[in-house]
Parts: sequence; C-alpha cells; structure tokens
Amino acid sequence: MAWLAANLAFITAILVVLPQIVGDFWAFTLALFLLYAVACLGLGLSWGQAGLLSLGQGFFVGFSAYTSGLILIGFSASPWLFPLLGLSVIAPGLIAYFLGCMIFHGRAQNTAFFAIITLALILLAAQIATAWESVTGGYNGLRNIPGLPGFSELEDAYTVSAVALGLSMMFAAWIMQTPLGVLWRALSQDERRVAFLGFNHNQLKSVAFGLSGLFGGIAGTLYAPQNSLVTPDLFGFLLSTSFVVWVAIGGRNTLYGPVLGAIGIGLATNTLRESIGFWEVVLAVIFIVAVLYFRKGLTGTVEPAIKRRFERNDRVRKSAPERHSAMTFDRIDIENLNLSVGNVGILEDLDLTIGSPGIYCLIGPNGAGKTTIFNAMTGELEAQSGTVSMLGARGIKMDARTQTIAGLGRKFQVPSVFDELTVGENLAIALWSGRSSRRDLLRMSLLDWESPVLAELERRFPFLAGRRQMVGSLSHGQRQVLDLAMVLCTEPRLILLDEPCAGLSLAETNEVISTVRWAVDRFQATAMIIEHDMAMVRELADRVFVVHNGSMLFEGSVAEVQSNDAVQAVYTGIAK
Amino acid sequence: MTDKPRHFSRRSVLAGLAGGASLMALPGGIGTAGASNPFKMGTFFSLSGPASLFGPTQTACNALAVDEINAAGGILGRSVQIVPGDGGAPPAEAAKTAVRMMLRDKVDVVVGSHDSAVRQAIVGALKGRIPYVYTPLYEGGECAPNTYVPADTPQQQVKPSINALHDMFGAKKIYLIGNGYVWPQQTNALAKRYIAEFGGSVAGEEYAPLGPGNKFDDAVTRIKNANPDLVLITLVGGDNVNFNRTFAGFGLDKNIKRLSLLLEELTLQGIGPKNGNGLFSCMSYFAAVDTPANNAFKARYAKKFGAKAPPLSMIGVDAYSGTNCAASLINKAGSTDAKAVMAASEGLQYKTATGTGTMTNRHVAKDMFLAEAKGAEFKIIKSFGKIEHGEKCSV
Amino acid sequence: MDPVLIANGLNISFEIVTLALVAMGLAVTLGLLGVLNLAHGEFVMIGAFCAFFVQEQGLSYLWAFPLVVIVCIVIGWPVERSIIRALYSRPFDTILATWGLSLLLREIVEFFFGPGFNSVDQPVSGTVNIFGADYPLYQLLVMLVAVLLIGALVAWYVKSSTGRRIQALVDNPDLAKSVGIPTIALARNTFIFGLCLAGIAGVLLAPIVAVYPGMGIDHVLKSFFVLVVGGLGNVVGLVVGSGVIGGAESIVAAILDRTAGYTFVLIVALLFLWKKPGGLVSR
Repeated sequence: MAWLAANLAFITAILVVLPQIVGDFWAFTLALFLLYAVACLGLGLSWGQAGLLSLGQGFFVGFSAYTSGLILIGFSASPWLFPLLGLSVIAPGLIAYFLGCMIFHGRAQNTAFFAIITLALILLAAQIATAWESVTGGYNGLRNIPGLPGFSELEDAYTVSAVALGLSMMFAAWIMQTPLGVLWRALSQDERRVAFLGFNHNQLKSVAFGLSGLFGGIAGTLYAPQNSLVTPDLFGFLLSTSFVVWVAIGGRNTLYGPVLGAIGIGLATNTLRESIGFWEVVLAVIFIVAVLYFRKGLTGTVEPAIKRRFERNDRVRKSAPERHSAMTFDRIDIENLNLSVGNVGILEDLDLTIGSPGIYCLIGPNGAGKTTIFNAMTGELEAQSGTVSMLGARGIKMDARTQTIAGLGRKFQVPSVFDELTVGENLAIALWSGRSSRRDLLRMSLLDWESPVLAELERRFPFLAGRRQMVGSLSHGQRQVLDLAMVLCTEPRLILLDEPCAGLSLAETNEVISTVRWAVDRFQATAMIIEHDMAMVRELADRVFVVHNGSMLFEGSVAEVQSNDAVQAVYTGIAK
Repeated sequence: MTDKPRHFSRRSVLAGLAGGASLMALPGGIGTAGASNPFKMGTFFSLSGPASLFGPTQTACNALAVDEINAAGGILGRSVQIVPGDGGAPPAEAAKTAVRMMLRDKVDVVVGSHDSAVRQAIVGALKGRIPYVYTPLYEGGECAPNTYVPADTPQQQVKPSINALHDMFGAKKIYLIGNGYVWPQQTNALAKRYIAEFGGSVAGEEYAPLGPGNKFDDAVTRIKNANPDLVLITLVGGDNVNFNRTFAGFGLDKNIKRLSLLLEELTLQGIGPKNGNGLFSCMSYFAAVDTPANNAFKARYAKKFGAKAPPLSMIGVDAYSGTNCAASLINKAGSTDAKAVMAASEGLQYKTATGTGTMTNRHVAKDMFLAEAKGAEFKIIKSFGKIEHGEKCSV
Repeated sequence: MDPVLIANGLNISFEIVTLALVAMGLAVTLGLLGVLNLAHGEFVMIGAFCAFFVQEQGLSYLWAFPLVVIVCIVIGWPVERSIIRALYSRPFDTILATWGLSLLLREIVEFFFGPGFNSVDQPVSGTVNIFGADYPLYQLLVMLVAVLLIGALVAWYVKSSTGRRIQALVDNPDLAKSVGIPTIALARNTFIFGLCLAGIAGVLLAPIVAVYPGMGIDHVLKSFFVLVVGGLGNVVGLVVGSGVIGGAESIVAAILDRTAGYTFVLIVALLFLWKKPGGLVSR
C-alpha cells in the first residue's frame, strides 16, 4: 500500500511539473507520446510481466482509434457518446483476450508464433483500413473527427492524456502488486511449474494479453479526438515495433520503464531524426545492446530497489482457507503402459499398483524410464497404449492443472522455483493453489496468507521464514527444499518426487526425509519417490518398485529387493 | 489522480517569469515582426520512411530556391530561414510538429512534399492560420482554406497523355492497374471519362493493396488474356517496379504500351534499362526536358551541389517550384494575412524549374511532358504546353 | 490443354516454389536451432544486392553465388558469436535481437547503395512456350534451381552425418554434447547455413523484383506462415506449408481480391495455431 501511495504522489507530481519543464508546445507534442506511453504500459504488462512479446500492440491502438473516430463523427451530440467511447476502450481488450485464448490453446511452440501472429495482425489491419474506404476513409484516413465535447483542442490535449496516463499507471501499479501480477511474473519464468501448481496458465496469459489490449484501447480512443485524423499508419509495422523498442530500453518489467521509454525515446526520435541522419542506427544498436546485456532496461535495477524500501516487514499474516479438495486415498492402477518417443520405446507393458497410502520408492538404472512414468501419469508425455487410474479418474485425460487441483503434487528433478520472485511469493503461490478463486487473485490479502503446514515447514527450515529474500540468491540445497515446501503447501494426496535430495547436505537430507514422512502421515497421502541413494530408500520406503528397461522388474519391501537375485543381476550400480 | 494543469496562457506567464519563454500569441495573430527578423519557412520533406529516397533532392532543391529568393531580396524584404520538419513521419507526429512550428517557432509559411495523409494532418493542425503550399502530384480536391497546391493533378497527367497515346498508337483498349488507395482510384475515374470521350474501352481494372510488396505474375497473365493496347499504371514505389519488371519478363512489352503516372527517374532506375520498352510517363518535370529554363536550372543546381548532387526527379524538383510559389505568393500579397494571400493566389505567376506556373483556384496550370523510357533515362516525346488543372477551389 | 489454365498453374507453382525457397533458410534456423530470425528478409536483401554489385562490376551474374556465401559467412560469424549464441535459450530475446539486427543491416546497405531502387538484369531473357503459355525462361530456371535446392536439402538432411548430428542436437542438446557432438560449432554452422540459403534466395530473386534496402519484409513475411502451417519438423513440412499458403492465397486472391487472399492466409495460420499447433508435419 505504501508503494501504491508513493506512486500516486510521484506520478501526479511528475505529470503536473512536466509541462513547466518542457514548455507549452512540447507539452502539446507530449500529449501524443503520453498516449503512446499508455499503450506501452499495456505492452509492459503482457511482455514484462507475463512474458508475451507482442509485435502488434498498434493493432489495439488503431482499432479503437478508428472506432472512437467513427463514434465521435456519428454520435458527437448524442447522450450515448461517452458510453459508446467506453465500448471502444473495452472492445480491443476483449478481442485480445479471445485471441489469446485461441492462440494459447495449442500447447506447443507458440512463443515465437505468438509474436508472428501479432505482427501479421497489424499488417492485415493496415490493408483492410486502406482498402475499406467507405468506412475507414482509406489511405488518407478518417478525417475531421470532432474533439471530445467540453475539451479545448490545444490547451486540454496534455491534460486529457496526462490524466489517462496517470490513471493507467495507477491501475498498472495496482495489478502488478496483486497475486495476479505475482502469478504473471511466475509464469514468465516457468510456465510448466505454474500449471503444476494448479493454475490455468493459458487463461492467465490471455488475461494479460487482454489487459494490454485494453490499454491500447485507452490510448486509441483518446488518440482520435486529439488528432482529429486517424490513418492506417497506426497499424504500421513502424509504430508497433517502436513500442517494443521503447519498452525494451525503458525496462519491460517495471512500472516506469515503458512510460519512460515511450516519452523519452519517442520524443527524442521525433526531434532527432530531423537533425541526426543516423539516428535509426544509434537506436538499433542501443536496442540490441539492451536486449543482450541490459534485459531489465533503464529502470530495471533502480525501481525494484526503491520499491523494496516501501515494503514493510511486519505484515499481519492471515490464515489461508481450507483447500477445496479433501480427497481421501484413491488407488493407483497403471496397466500395460506403452510409451515411445520417436522410434525409441521407453515404457513397455508397464504395470504398477498402489493399494494403500505410504511411501513408495522407484529405483532402477539410468534410462530405465522412472521419470517417464511420472510424465505419463501427469500427461506430460502421451502413452501409445495402456491405462492409468489415479486421483479418482481413469485414463489420463486430465492436464497438470486439474490433477493438481484434485490433489497431485509433483516436484521435478531440477528445482523448479521462481528465481526472480521472493521466497514469500514462491510459497504464497503454492498456498493459493486450490484455495483461491479467480476473483481472489486481485486481493492483496492473499499475499499474507499462512497455513499450519507452512508454519511447520518454516519451523523445520528456518530460511523459509526470510520471506523477502530473492530466490535467485538461495543455495542449491535451499532451492530444492523450497521446491519441496511449495509442493507440500498445496497439501497434496499424491506426491511425486523426483530425487528430492539430490545435491543436499547430510543434515538437509535428514530433515527432508523426516519432513516427507511427516507430510505423508499428516495428509494420509501416497508418495512416489524416484531415488538412487539406497540409504535413503532404506530410510523412507514402505515399498520399492524396481524399474528396468521400461518394465516393472520387481516389487517388494526394501529387504526383499535387496535379497532378490534378479534385481541384483541387472542392478549392480548400487552398493548394498 | 493527477492535478489538472492550468491553462496554457497562465502557465506561459509563469514560465516566462521563471525562464524567459514568451507569451503565446493565439491563433490568427501571427506577429508582424520587424524587418530584421528572418522570414521563417517551415518545410516538410521526406526525411524518413519509404519515401525518404526523395528527401535529399527535396532538401537540395528547396535550398537552391531559398538561395535564389534571398539573392533577389527575400520575402517581404526579410531573408528566408528554413525550419525543417519530417514529412515522412506518421501523420499524428507531423501534425504536432506543424503546431509547434506555428506557435513556438512562429513560421510564416509552410511548404511540404509528402503523402496525402500527412497533408491532411498538417491541414488539420494549421487550420488555415498560415499559408501552406503542397507540392508533389496528388489526387486533387484539396480546397482547405489558405492551402495552395502547385501539384500535378490527375487531369493534368491523364488527359493529355492518354489522348496522345491514342493518337500515336491508336490505343483504344485500356487496362487499368493501381494500388488500392485514393490517388489511383481518382486518377482512374478520370481516365475512364477520357477513354469514353475518344470511344475507347476499359479492358480491365484492378488494384493491389498497399503494404509489403506484391507479386504481379497473375495480374500480368490477366492483362495478357485481356489483350489491351495500353496499360495505365497507377502503382507506386516497389510495386511499380515489380509490375513493370514482371510485365517485360513475360514479354508483354513487345505488343502492349504502358503509361505509368508515378514514374520518375528513381523508380525507372529500379525497373531497369531492359524492361522499359514502350513505357511512358507524363509529369510536369523530367530531368531530360530540354528547354532553356530547365537547362539553366540544372546548371545552377549542379553549380551549387557539385558532382554529388542528389539526382533530379519530379518528386524533389517540386520542392523548388513550391518554394518559389510560396515566396511569390506572399510577396504578391504583401503580408501573410490569410485573406490577402488567398486573394493574391488567383492569377499568381511564379518561376518553376521548366518555366512559369500560373495559379488559379489555388492550383496551377503548368507545362506537362510525355516521356518514354529509353534505357536508364527518359526521352521527351511530346511537350503539351500549359495544361489546366481542373480543380475548382474557391478563393 | 487450355493455355490460360497452364499459365495460372505456372504462376501458382512459381508462387509456391519461391515461397519455399525463401522459407528454407528460416526453417533451418527456426526448426533446428529454435532461432526465429527476423533479419532473414535482410539476408535475402543482401543476396539481391550481391547480384546487383556483381552486375555493377561488369561480372557474370553467377559470381553472385560465391560472393553471397562469403558475405553471409563474414556477417553471420560475428553475429552468431556476439548476438545469437547468448540467446539460444531465450526465444523472445532472439526475436528482438534479430529484429534490431535487421534495422542495422538495412541502414548499412542504405549507406553503401543509397535508399533508392536498383535493377538487376535477367541473366537469360526471353520467354518459352509451354503448352501454349508464354513463360519467362528465367523464372522457369529459378523454379528448377529452387526445386533442386530443396531436394539437396532433403538429401543432405537425411543422408549426411551433419544432418544426423543436427537431429541429435535438436532432439537433445545435452545428450548431443555428452556424446561428443560439438554443439557450439554445429549451431554456428547451422545458423550461417540458414543465412546462406536466404542470401541465395535473394540472388535468385533479384532479377525479377525491385532491389532496395527495405525489400526484406516483402519476401519474408509469408515464410513465417509457411512454418506455422507446415510445422518445423522437416523439409516435407516446408513444401506442404508453402503449398497450402501459396496455393490458398493465389486461389482466394484470384476469386476475390488480394486483401481477401492475405486475410485468408492469416486465418489459416491462426486456425493452425489453435487446432494444430505442431503444424501439418510435426517432428
């Protein structure tokens, strides 16, 4: 809250003082770039926060500039004018949202294609705007658009733009602070992990893209009355890519970066390209250097540092609600599973049955297919034949998100934590899993949630209580532990752990073992653990599965496994 | 919420006390400064964007004209000073620049050579408060107050050229191809009228979208099937080059004449010396025009800019004529007052690169030329003399 | 057969083949390295300028081919070293960096050759009569060369050990490294190879199009759609994608108009992203 209030004061002060510094006529020119800044702010949300690079932000500006222009021409005197203009703000937001739903629906390879589709969108829009002369005015554009009634043309241009930008920045500052903002940043770092924490990652992305469209809509709707002319240039490659350059150099992850970029570089370009012939070259070089070496842009290191000073340590923690799913134990049945990737068969007629809660270890030589079993169970890889029944469902048609909501908790081999978030945010995301509604994601109080499980974990691993520490600065062991803690915070009924103790010290290993045991007892859960270390297996396992060449070689207690000849024959890598 | 800034004039007073900015003169009251003050001319030439290949010539021709005007006593006795703007910028930015030129720099006149979208943005920004001279060829119909258009109009380009090709080759069956925007469409509308007048027919009409370059194999195939006598081309830039190269590549240049209406020296260079067989252009200027006036102009141009002078072409040299037009206009009016300038425009005579232009209805009757591509250059086939512009703006 | 039909068929074939020709290099860099090279069009442009330069010097057009390979290596080597290599794991940043590169390359070429249009003469002129339809001999040759190039790419990719090594690199970079495949050198060579393909496409197209610094975008845009539709897996996808995009656009453009054709292409690409994100021929 303190951060929001500080922003409010700062933004207001800057926007009031700015015209005094630059003078009236530059303020008038600035009016245009403040609108561009609003559009860039939207790009900052989708790209800097959620990681979606749009090369077509101009589409939304242009779209609503045309609709706003048509509305102002047709309904200038109507009492419906302002409601209609409101629609022209919202429309691009909705278009972006549904477009996002469509593009993100497909699962593979869509990062690069997303950028290309947005690029294609503006080129198409430019052609339609040029060709559809009866509506858009064609190449010469929509002309003689009246100004907003009650506002003078020159004097109020800056005011209107400044108020729009101020409000937009406040909105952006707020949404970046909400749990939704935290999730976006998590998403841009590790989308799979977000899905495995039970969030609808595709929808989160669509919302981010939708909001960027909305900001474009604000800019476009005000652009038309301010300029009284709307031309297909708004759909130009040049404008949209300029937005990207401005945001990249200003700093994509911050609140002020996109704004600073749009105003600073936009205005500099407007002035300097008339006098410096090679300005475009200079800009291109700065841009490449920024992409390579200063990914955070001009504001990227300064703003977070300032922001941290406004955060209080002594936040009042509130207890999180009960998790929605209170599923009791359900059998796991894997029958005749066959799975191959390309021509390589990985699982062959694999059977695995778990009839009661407890800790089950999967062992087997490298390449036996242990991780693949997890991947087949959670739908990461598609099996060619066979069935999997677990979590009350038969056959794997659920995705990671639904499974997590139903009680799955999976920890990957490499620690999948969000490096650029704090420990507290990482844990909070896990707490929200299955406990928060969509609307909850806009409530700041979610950031202060705690639960008895988390309290116990913090007692066992004290570093987890240092909530403001950035995860990127943790040791490898701490990251492993954090990852496990996040899984356990979701209070899962089925826990899949892939080498949870890899790289841990002896003390850490012992604490992790006791924690896993504690969690399994507390949640009445089933834990499946892939493990190489026989010492650990002895400590942990109620029962052991030995996988070899994609099939189940043997199943039994630790003692049975150790005395079995068949196991010994193929599995000599592990000392007794 | 942000505070609403105070009104412009009040803040200007504050700023003036603090830093020395002057009080803003409100629209209409463009100050009559002392005779020692320079006469400020705002220019909008294509410094960036797709048309920037014309920018150097425009800037050079403008500078040459300003030199000559200053040598002859300047405008209203004041020497001319250029305030440059970028006509290749997006319209919204050009409009902001125009307002800044008008209110902060207090320019006395604006001269521009750029596309129509930017023209409309500038017209909208200036609102007739200072004289604005728009110079390249365009679709016609610009009658905004205090706006003067010495540009080539469709009537000037189409009427003489199409009739001449009809007379020379008996071209009756004509195929129209252009880019899908206002200039080609207006031009073709007029062309169809003239074709009907001499009893010709339209063999086909098609438009390719502006934007990333088009391929024209299919269009050329359609033209071949339609078998016209003449193709009237209103494609621009890269599309004009691509079309003409494909047209010649398919061998259609042997039997079908082409008339391209935005074809100057720089575009011809792209079409190439081997693809210009039977390709004509009609404009008010070609570097190859062999008249005493043009030869003298070329000599002065070469003297000022030397061997590295930007190549002369219609779009570029228009800035020379336009600058002269602006100077003559204001000298004749005796002030920059909108009414006086409007009145002075009727019947105004001013110097162009090839002779003189005569302004009526704020457009200009001028010498037009028909040229044929011969290798890398144009050869003037016919000089039409002064051709009327056909525009009907009131003064 | 009807000469009009033949002519239309030849036009559509040419559209498809040139599309595949330009998309080929892009498919190599995107499909094999995951690098979406937005500067691809600029290398097509550089190829075209190589042809122009060679002609200016009074040399045979054929010299443009070795020249463009040298130029692509000279540019591609430092570019891969300084820009691309750091970004193999950051796909969005590659898009940005290569886009910045495209601006830079355009400005550099403009500095040397000016912003205006240039022309390259066709090395062979005249038309040939194919079942009653006159067709430019040069365009016929371009089609032939392009088809040979695509065929060679298939053969190289399937047969050669480099092809297999790249396949291994693509399937599992860590594994490739552990079995001793020199990933760094291989990735660099693959990147430069993709650039060379773009440059060669530029040399081939130069005699039929406008040659100017901004020409890249004209030729590269539809290539992206080819990859969306065809998938990134292999050369078959490239050919299929070109066929769908080129064919669909030509036909819709002939029935309605060019804007409709373009709209249709975009919609097809969107539908593919939605319903078949892996493309028609997936890996």
